[in-house]
Amino acid sequence: MIERLIERFRHGDRLALARLMSLAARGELPRDTLGALQSSKPARVVAITGSGGVGKSSLVGRLITVVRDQGLKVAVLACDPQSPLSGGALLGDRVRMAGKPDDDGVFIRSLAALSGQSALAAHLDTMIRLCEAFGMEVVLIETAGAGQGDTAVHALADVVVLLLQPETGDDLQREKAGVFEVADVLVVHKADMPGAEQAFAQVRAAAELATPPVPVLKASARTGEGLAELWRLVAGRPLRRQADQVDKDLLVAIQEELARRFESALAGGVKGVRDLVSRWRQGSVSSHEAATAVLDLLLNEP
Amino acid sequence: MAEHLAQNRAAKRIVLAKVGLDGHDRGVKVVARALRDAGFHVIYAGLWQTPEAVVRAVADEDADWVGLSILSGAHMTLVPRVLRLLKETGLANVGVLVGGIIPEDEVPKLLELGVARVFGPGTSMPEIVEFLKQNSGARHD
Repeated sequence: MIERLIERFRHGDRLALARLMSLAARGELPRDTLGALQSSKPARVVAITGSGGVGKSSLVGRLITVVRDQGLKVAVLACDPQSPLSGGALLGDRVRMAGKPDDDGVFIRSLAALSGQSALAAHLDTMIRLCEAFGMEVVLIETAGAGQGDTAVHALADVVVLLLQPETGDDLQREKAGVFEVADVLVVHKADMPGAEQAFAQVRAAAELATPPVPVLKASARTGEGLAELWRLVAGRPLRRQADQVDKDLLVAIQEELARRFESALAGGVKGVRDLVSRWRQGSVSSHEAATAVLDLLLNEP
Repeated sequence: MAEHLAQNRAAKRIVLAKVGLDGHDRGVKVVARALRDAGFHVIYAGLWQTPEAVVRAVADEDADWVGLSILSGAHMTLVPRVLRLLKETGLANVGVLVGGIIPEDEVPKLLELGVARVFGPGTSMPEIVEFLKQNSGARHD
C-alpha cells in the first residue's frame, strides 16, 4: 500500500501527497518513506506566528498570491488548536485563504495542534519534507497562535515572521514575550487601523536595539500594504535549516573520521592509546579523562 | 477524557462548506461546533464556495466526509456537480452529506445520486454525530 502511494506521489498525484500527509500527521508514516522521496531542492520554509486574531490566516492568504506571482509553488500548513477535552478541532484557516481552486501550484492543509502544549501540529517537520519532495518551493506555516516563549517554530522554519497589531500592550509586554529572540522579521499588521503608526515606531525602536537588529515593517492584508516588501525581506533571508543541516552533516563526517582513526590506532598498536584503553578498562581513569587523552593522541598522530 | 490529552489520531476529518450564493452560515457553524465537540476534525471552508473549491479542499485535506450546506434552492444543480467532480478527481469514496432546505420529494433523488444522507431543518446534533459515527465515510485503502 505504501509503495503504491509513493509511486503515485512520484508521479505528482496530489491525492497521494494528501494521504501521506495524513499518515505523517498521525505518526504512522513508515520510517524509510522520506528516504524514498528524496527532494531535489529545499523549500523556503516561512513561519507566520503571532497571537490569536492578529490576522495570520488573512496575511497567509495574501502571501499565497504574492508567492504565486513569483512563479513559485507553495504549500500552506495551517495549525489550529485541538480541544483537549473532546480531541476534536475546528480548523477554520482555509476560509481566509480563498484562491483559485484549479491552481495546482497551491496546496493547503489544515492541522490540529495540541492546545496548551504547542502552537504547532505534531510531526510538522515530516510534513514539511513531504511538501518539499512533492516539489513545493515555499512552505508557509501558520502557527496556532500562542507566542510567549514559543521557540519550536524557530527550529522548523528558515524565516520566522511575527505579527503584532496596534494596541497590544506596551514595549515591555513585547520584551517579555521574547519576540525579538524568535522573530527574524517583525510585522505590525493591520496597518490601516488607528494606532498603527505609534506601534510601528515603538516596535522599531526596540527592534533596533536587539542583537542582531530585527527588521520591522507595516503591513495590512486588507489593503495589501507592505506585502511585496514583506516577501522581499523573507526571500532575502538565508535558508537557516540548510545551514544547520550542513553543520550537522559536517559533525557526522568528523565523528566518522575520528572513529576510523581510533580503530586504526588500536589495531596498529599506537602504544599510548592502547595503554589508555587498558587503564580505562581497569577503572583507573574515568571515561571522560580517557577520551580526552585519546583525542589528544589521535590529533597529534600524523 | 484522558485519552484525548494526546493527539487525537483516530479523528475523522470532515470538510464543511456553503456552496452557492446564500449567506446563511449559522446552521453550518452550529454543526461545525457540535462535530468538534464530538471529536471530529472539522475543516470549515466557509461561505460562497464553488463546487471546484470544495472538491479541492476535500482532496488536499484528505477528508473522510464533506458536508454541503445549501439554503438557496440550487441543490439540484450544485450537489450533482460536486458529486461528479469528486468522482472525476478520484474521490468517489468520500461520504457526502447535505444540509439545509431540501424539499422532501427531492431527497430520494439526491440519495440516488450518491449523497449519504440529507439533514433538514429540525435535525438534532446528536442525530448527525450518531450517523457519522455509525458510518465510516471515506474508505482508506
